[in-house]
Amino acid sequence: MNTLRAVVDCLIPPDDFPGAYDAGVCDYLERIFQTDLAAQSQFFLAGLDGIEAEALARFNKPFANLTPDQQVSTLAAIESGDVKTSWPISPSLFFEMLVNTTAEGYYSDPQQGGNRDGRSWVMTGFES
Amino acid sequence: MGNDGLRIMNNFDAIIIGTGAAGGIVACVLAEAGKHVLLLERGAALTFADVGRDDLRNQRLAVYGHNAGPDITGNPRVFVDPQGRSRIVRPYELDYHNNAACLGGGTRVYGAQAWRFHPNDFRMASKYGVPEGSSLADWPISYETLEPFYERAEWELGAAGDGASIQSEIPRKRNYPLPPVPPSPQTVALQTAARQLNWLTSPVPLLINTEGYAGRAACIECKYCVGFACPTDAKNGTQNTVIPRALATGNCHLKTSAFAEKIETDNRGIVSGVSYFVDSRRETARSKIVIVSAGAIESARLLLNSHSSLHPAGLGNEHDQVGRNLQGHLYPRAYGIAPGRVFNGIGPGVTIATIQFNHDNPGIIGGGMLADDFIKPPIDFWYDSLPPELPRWGIENKSFMRENYTRVMHVRGPVQDIPNPEGRVTVHNAVRDKWGIPVARLSGTTHPATVETAEFMRERGEEWLRASGCEKVWSAQPGLILSGRQHQAGTCRMGNDPRSSVTDEWGRVHSHDNLFVVDGSLHVTNGGFNPVLTIMALAYRSAEYIAQRV
Repeated sequence: MNTLRAVVDCLIPPDDFPGAYDAGVCDYLERIFQTDLAAQSQFFLAGLDGIEAEALARFNKPFANLTPDQQVSTLAAIESGDVKTSWPISPSLFFEMLVNTTAEGYYSDPQQGGNRDGRSWVMTGFES
Repeated sequence: MGNDGLRIMNNFDAIIIGTGAAGGIVACVLAEAGKHVLLLERGAALTFADVGRDDLRNQRLAVYGHNAGPDITGNPRVFVDPQGRSRIVRPYELDYHNNAACLGGGTRVYGAQAWRFHPNDFRMASKYGVPEGSSLADWPISYETLEPFYERAEWELGAAGDGASIQSEIPRKRNYPLPPVPPSPQTVALQTAARQLNWLTSPVPLLINTEGYAGRAACIECKYCVGFACPTDAKNGTQNTVIPRALATGNCHLKTSAFAEKIETDNRGIVSGVSYFVDSRRETARSKIVIVSAGAIESARLLLNSHSSLHPAGLGNEHDQVGRNLQGHLYPRAYGIAPGRVFNGIGPGVTIATIQFNHDNPGIIGGGMLADDFIKPPIDFWYDSLPPELPRWGIENKSFMRENYTRVMHVRGPVQDIPNPEGRVTVHNAVRDKWGIPVARLSGTTHPATVETAEFMRERGEEWLRASGCEKVWSAQPGLILSGRQHQAGTCRMGNDPRSSVTDEWGRVHSHDNLFVVDGSLHVTNGGFNPVLTIMALAYRSAEYIAQRV
């Protein structure tokens, strides 16, 4: 899903260590929203739809096609609840869940389903 | 069950409810004294693999669950927040105030800091007076009375430390049996700073085998200590020390997955045994003595749920004292970015402490210990340790994790809790657990004076890190909340006056000669230290007393 890929890479962008998508964060999200957070999966999907609607309302383009600056400003607005479209859920509560689960997918044990090859553990120095 | 089983079931000298820091020790002392003991544990005997290394589901970071019980379903509590709103909480949520539910209790997965309380911790009311609205009081016993039992806990379970380094504040007759954990780069920085500040420092005493001890292996310095089980069994809980000894006597019958429903009393009101559930099967065992060691929340809950027509308010609760004074510790914490890398990947990570500020701070009641911290897995660090103004996403966040995970120094510590009688455990008759037993309802907060002490300690933490050369320092302290959590204590406090305490100095419930409470519930105050060694010392003292009388 292009929107989600672009969103997580905006939250944890690539540099010489992988961004969230290449680190397997979407694999983690798929798993956690089918297990522990299964009850919140509709909430989460509604939030992703909300991001796409905000991108269209602000820039008349899908989120994945925005410039990096446009992506950041769109997400920052959602984080602070400053939305231009009608959200069926709380934008800031959704965003908090999005940021937390993305960090979990990036920084937690590879056995959780993300953090491919433990790259973030090498990046932080937790493992050498 | 055969006739032999029935005979045994009805002839125990003692039934002990709970296998944590206290219950395991009481079982060992009684069994080795030849007493026939039934030891009940609500959880299971967990292997290292059972506990696992899930960095999102453990006793330190419990985002989606935890690793040492109780089960997430069927064990609710009710939490009433400071605004008076109540809600049902699940065992891994912070407001549940959980302690692990498994053989060994919290000691199965603890950090094993083995502090003795300071002599002044036993005489808080005499030293500081009683703040309005608090139930601050002296203990009925002194540090000197408990000193031999501290030593016994250190030697029988196995503690590592340097007694001489704290001798001036906390005198002892005998050193620790094991040498302290080695220093890390963080230790060196903090020690150098403390010398400049003229602060006393010491290695952190730990119930961890820094060398092989009593037939168990040495610590292999892994990165998953607090919140997890030990891969080499070098972390000394009751499950791998005193409980195996108790079982080896043949006098101790251990039942796991056995949840105590009620302390039974006869038609004269005398305690006669315990009813408990094993899965859905209800059993009753009889004994001469019952010892409640279920932790400060569950021990109070059990006494309150053991009501009868002769004891309508529950056992030992004639003066509405059971469940009051629930306390633990507020934990102020401070972080700073060191000039260079301080992380060396060698666990457990906690190495150095100062007890400079446990007492005699101007304008402050009590104080607390400050120490560096256990190694945090990166996701724990991300949730716990980032500066508040750092964006929580974007390249700035990622760069911070990349540049500073190995440079962030962290000190934190437990603050002497000023008890409040309104911080309490009651039972909620409309909310039941999976056996239909009314659950614990937690309400109230610590006393506002505790927050003043926590604020003072937060500032000391920042001061220590600045003096250590940290360029950027930030900190947090939790404010006016209920402070129970893993250090929960105080709900059946010991004392000489039955109107203001639940038990005597031995843990004997004032109104019941053959009913004892032995665990953190007894603590009149909870010190400015991790409380487990005090729970253990009290358990040795009470167990010796009980063994001579049953």
